[in-house]
Amino acid sequence: MKKFSNTYIFLYVGGLVTVIALLLSLAAIGLKPRHEANLKREKAVQILKAAGYDAADKADAVRLLGEVAKPKNNAAGREMYDIRCPDGTEGVVVYVDGKGLWGPIWGYVVMDEKMSEIKGVTFSHKSETPGLGANIAEPEFEDRFVGKKLRDGDGNFKPLQIVKGGGHSDDPHGVDAVSGATITSRGVENMLSQSLKEVMQ
Amino acid sequence: MKKYLGPLNKENPVLVQVLGVCSALAVTAQLKPAVVMALSVTVVCALSNLIISLIRNTIPPRVRIIVQLLVVSFFVVMVDMFLQAFVYDVSKMLSVFVGLIITNCIVMGRLEAFALSHKPLPSLVDGLMNGLGYGLVLVVVGTLRELFGRGTLWNIRIMPQAFYEAGYLDNGLMILPPMALILVGSLIWILNRNPKNAK
Amino acid sequence: MMELVDIFVRSVFIDNMVFAYFLGMCSYLAVSKDVKTAFGLGVAVCFVLTVTIPVNYLIDKYLLSPGALAWAGAWGEGLDLSFLTLIIFIAVIAAIVQLLEMVIEKISMPLYQALGIFLPLIAVNCAILGGSLFMQERHFPTVAHSFVYALGSGAGWLLAIVAFAAIRERLRYSNIPKPLQGNGIAYIITGLMGLGFMCFLGI
Repeated sequence: MKKFSNTYIFLYVGGLVTVIALLLSLAAIGLKPRHEANLKREKAVQILKAAGYDAADKADAVRLLGEVAKPKNNAAGREMYDIRCPDGTEGVVVYVDGKGLWGPIWGYVVMDEKMSEIKGVTFSHKSETPGLGANIAEPEFEDRFVGKKLRDGDGNFKPLQIVKGGGHSDDPHGVDAVSGATITSRGVENMLSQSLKEVMQ
Repeated sequence: MKKYLGPLNKENPVLVQVLGVCSALAVTAQLKPAVVMALSVTVVCALSNLIISLIRNTIPPRVRIIVQLLVVSFFVVMVDMFLQAFVYDVSKMLSVFVGLIITNCIVMGRLEAFALSHKPLPSLVDGLMNGLGYGLVLVVVGTLRELFGRGTLWNIRIMPQAFYEAGYLDNGLMILPPMALILVGSLIWILNRNPKNAK
Repeated sequence: MMELVDIFVRSVFIDNMVFAYFLGMCSYLAVSKDVKTAFGLGVAVCFVLTVTIPVNYLIDKYLLSPGALAWAGAWGEGLDLSFLTLIIFIAVIAAIVQLLEMVIEKISMPLYQALGIFLPLIAVNCAILGGSLFMQERHFPTVAHSFVYALGSGAGWLLAIVAFAAIRERLRYSNIPKPLQGNGIAYIITGLMGLGFMCFLGI
């Protein structure tokens, strides 16, 4: 086996590290636009899905979103849009964010114009447990929110309650929780009540 | 030729050599991430085998593990960035498991056992074959789990609606992580039953 | 405080590295022939995890994540080095493992003899790198959180490998179908243990 001097070893590893770092930086810079376009498209798909559009056609989601939705200013500085739903009715989209069990969770809530009834939601998460907390991003859970009421009889904001055990599907202010994921479900509840309170009058 | 085809069957890295199971199984709940993962591992394994083999005579033995780690992680980061750029939704499903290819024992194992002592071309083929052998297991497990767990393949419904009407239910157990292990165990069983493969 | 206990319990039982994420399976299957060696490896993994995760946490927070370099002045604010995460994490792990090996050798010979043979193996153990990557994904607010998480994950891994080794020792006396002997049954047992661990989901 050949002998290598210490100087050679240091130079060798140093050189290798430099070359690799350089190549990676180049690739990172080169791919950045594509990556950012992906993020933008994913956001558009989520909003469209919440509003009830068929999101299978992902390629021009950004263009479609531009056509049906326009950003809406609000005092809270929260990301909001006015959107035209596929059934022709007008709606409001609100970006909601909060904390799950392991990391951030976020999503979009689509409501009717008076912000009193939910038309649809989409949730996303960074790192909830697969099969449990991660189920908040499944259509099966998201569909449970459709038609729920956000205001009480006097028109005041009444946050949704995410209830464990189910059997409340006819309760207009309660949603069945994800089984086995109590903390994530509570996270969703807090996320909705905090974020929506900011934009409700 | 026979030597190179071994990893696909008799010397399958996952089933027989018990290498690289770690990150492998967590992504097999559905077919699509499993296929992408299989391809990523194959690419990383083949290319890093090639590079290490090319520079094998210049690597100081004392730091060879570090050099190998550097080369492998370079390719893994590259693959990760390409996945994020071109198949974003799959890369989200794979999350940290792409990064874990670095510590995948197959890649490091082939570098140590083969690339350090062989010429570039055979090393490339060896890496390719081992990656594919690994990928094969992923794809088989992924197919079974998605088909029986969700009744779909590649997100397209396969199980006919009539089955559900006749009382058939998706087997939710298949989606749970432990099922992947049990399936691999069963695959080993089948492979070992074949007398040609008996050791 | 409650939050820390919560993270600990969850990382030991529910998000168990072996059963929920299959991390560190290679050495888990290879070094579980008897309880004693399994325990040695388990302790070594636990130890390395609790050292590397907090260190990587600090590196991630002050060096790698987007805008993390803000403390270094205005030029650092726009910088995003997150694409270097993998390389830096693995380099840190390899370096720390080397360092630990040397330190343990100097301080305590018995400990070195017990853990020494496992340490080189650990640098390429998926559980270690996986731990750091999950830590990064989970955005822990403080170092203490990441430390507790590391401790919990390590303990979970230790628990898994020791339990598995104990079962395997017993298995020698059971009558297993021939094609299943060896690795086949090992996978299946791990799967069954994983199913058993799923009953902790409710807590």
